[in-house]
Amino acid sequence: MKVFIDPPNSLVLFDLVERFGHEPLSTMAAIQERVDNIEVDMPPMNVTLDDVVKGLKYAGVEVPSGVRGRLALWGPLIDEADAAIIMDDCPYSFGCVGCERSNLMVKYLIKRRGIPALRVTYPENDEQAVNFVAQTKEFLEGLQ
Amino acid sequence: MSETRETRLFMISPRSTLTPDQLARMVHAYGAEALVKETCYGCLVEGPRELVLSIRDRVREGYPNEVFTKIRAYPSSDPRRCRAMHGTRPGYAQLEMEWELLARVQHGLDEVAKGARYVPPEEKKRIPVNDFKRICEVRR
Amino acid sequence: MTIKIAQLSCGTEYSSVQYEIEKAARSVGAKIVYPDVSASDIDEAVKRFGFVPRSPQLKLMIARAVRLADGKYDADAVFITTCFRCSDAAFVRNELSRFIQENTRLPVVTYSFTERLKASQLLTRMEALVTIVTRKELLSRERQTGITVGLDSGSSTTKAVVMENNKIIGKDWTPSGDVVASAEAVLGNALKMAGIEMSQVEAIGTTGYGRFTLGDHFGAKLVQEELTVNSKGAVWLADRQRGEATILDIGGMDNKAITVRDGVPDNFTMGGICAGASGRFLEMTSKRLKIEVTQLGALADKGNWRNAKMNSYCSVFGIQDLVTTLGEGKRFEDVAAAACHSVAEQVYEQQLQEIDVRHPIIQVGGTSLISGLVTAVGEILGEAPIVPPDSQYIGAVGGALLSSGLL
Repeated sequence: MKVFIDPPNSLVLFDLVERFGHEPLSTMAAIQERVDNIEVDMPPMNVTLDDVVKGLKYAGVEVPSGVRGRLALWGPLIDEADAAIIMDDCPYSFGCVGCERSNLMVKYLIKRRGIPALRVTYPENDEQAVNFVAQTKEFLEGLQ
Repeated sequence: MSETRETRLFMISPRSTLTPDQLARMVHAYGAEALVKETCYGCLVEGPRELVLSIRDRVREGYPNEVFTKIRAYPSSDPRRCRAMHGTRPGYAQLEMEWELLARVQHGLDEVAKGARYVPPEEKKRIPVNDFKRICEVRR
Repeated sequence: MTIKIAQLSCGTEYSSVQYEIEKAARSVGAKIVYPDVSASDIDEAVKRFGFVPRSPQLKLMIARAVRLADGKYDADAVFITTCFRCSDAAFVRNELSRFIQENTRLPVVTYSFTERLKASQLLTRMEALVTIVTRKELLSRERQTGITVGLDSGSSTTKAVVMENNKIIGKDWTPSGDVVASAEAVLGNALKMAGIEMSQVEAIGTTGYGRFTLGDHFGAKLVQEELTVNSKGAVWLADRQRGEATILDIGGMDNKAITVRDGVPDNFTMGGICAGASGRFLEMTSKRLKIEVTQLGALADKGNWRNAKMNSYCSVFGIQDLVTTLGEGKRFEDVAAAACHSVAEQVYEQQLQEIDVRHPIIQVGGTSLISGLVTAVGEILGEAPIVPPDSQYIGAVGGALLSSGLL
């Protein structure tokens, strides 16, 4: 199954989703599509004006362009996803997940889709890490 | 996803004794046609998707819980993401932070492999105002 | 020598504007760089700075600024830019601009972008950053020498000034038409007034929108953007070459607010998306009032803006409001005052919020001749701006002054 990960660029979530037998939907794949498209030359990521305009599907024009551009990347992935894993309270979230407002909207879009979604908490010690891995594994193995 | 090119980073958990050099050589042995670049965190592998996936599977067989992997959008040495040309990119800080977390995830995977199950944590609740008031009064 | 402009930003790559920023920098011989920080530096830097935004990317911006302030990263200038309409980013953008100014000697420019940003909009700003870095010595020039000419090809008017031994000896202006023909006309008149032949002119400096065309046509020694040239002209005219000042230039198409230290800009903003915040608004108001724009200022001084109700700043709807109040029997004077107040308020809201206003405030450009506007600016800022003599000639004077440094 296709599992959207949030943060969408997380190494840990990407790895666990693959490890337990599913296909992670990540920012990396969305950007790869763009950077490999040599017809568009808007480095570094080839996120174009068209993308930002497409972001209007997810947020109105009064929302900053950086939010709409991000949602243009992730919105279609959420639309395509069969399930999602969301990690709350991440102390790390840079790069594409650097905008807190976009991140809030992503969580809402997942909720609105009504797909099975697991919310996990960032583990702060070994004990919590065991729980985090176990919970993620059980969720992923339970997806039919 | 592109069928022709896959670039993947392999990151070694801080708890592992494996070195980037050992990992890079191992990966190279698994797929000589792939481009393998040793990095401070492990290595970067690039090649046809099928080949890169087979390398991933073999690394997991050898080191199931101490090497982690995700795809990378940019091809190896892409000038658009080159640190030497622009300085560090924002995603770099994210990788640094996630690297630290890998030690715990490794431990989690080890324990789950031994049979650990998910135990819902006790829910944290705020104490009722009256209880708080009583505590304050006692302490006064 | 490639000038390194450190970019502190949030949202550029996801707004399709990063490429445009880099293109603008490249076209003026500069390069965009990002100060290196490691993840562990970020929390410490944010704690030290004291403002804790929710977005991690804004935290990263702060960490990069701290790196520059500590002199741990080598850059020549700073470009701070964030998404338009993001309040968190606006806080960080403005406060970091102040922080960089307080802690470094690097010139800074701030900008809030939309996805429609094109490289051409940033060109003047980037060019100014490069000029400040590469022409430091020239910009510190305080006296004009020899016989030189300055040509300022603006969006509304074209100005020429002839200077000899630190004095203006000829000047003229005309509404801008054909770039070269307008410049030739004002130059001819200014030379006539000075009693000087073109062959005696030792150097020409051009600035403003038409600077490149005029530079080619007249073989100018100096072709330079209006931010640095106008600053120089303004401090020379106001005799404030030393110390700090804020230069406010409300232009026909865009406004500039520049802070200077010893005549060299160290922070500036330039706005140009709203006619309601420009001289154009006053021109349109005059037209609707059927008076000359030159009469508007004196009329406004006799009126009270509070009497004429305006529901909009917009150059279409705002002016319609003014005309409607006339229909209600309000006085022309009040309407003129309301128009001036509206522009001043807009400039205050859009431009002056982005810089730390330093004193004195020197108001220049053609609109500084509209006394009602100067009064309104003074009222809003709580301090009467200085309007130097020949304040509409700042660009031309700056051009003549600086080009004499290249003799």
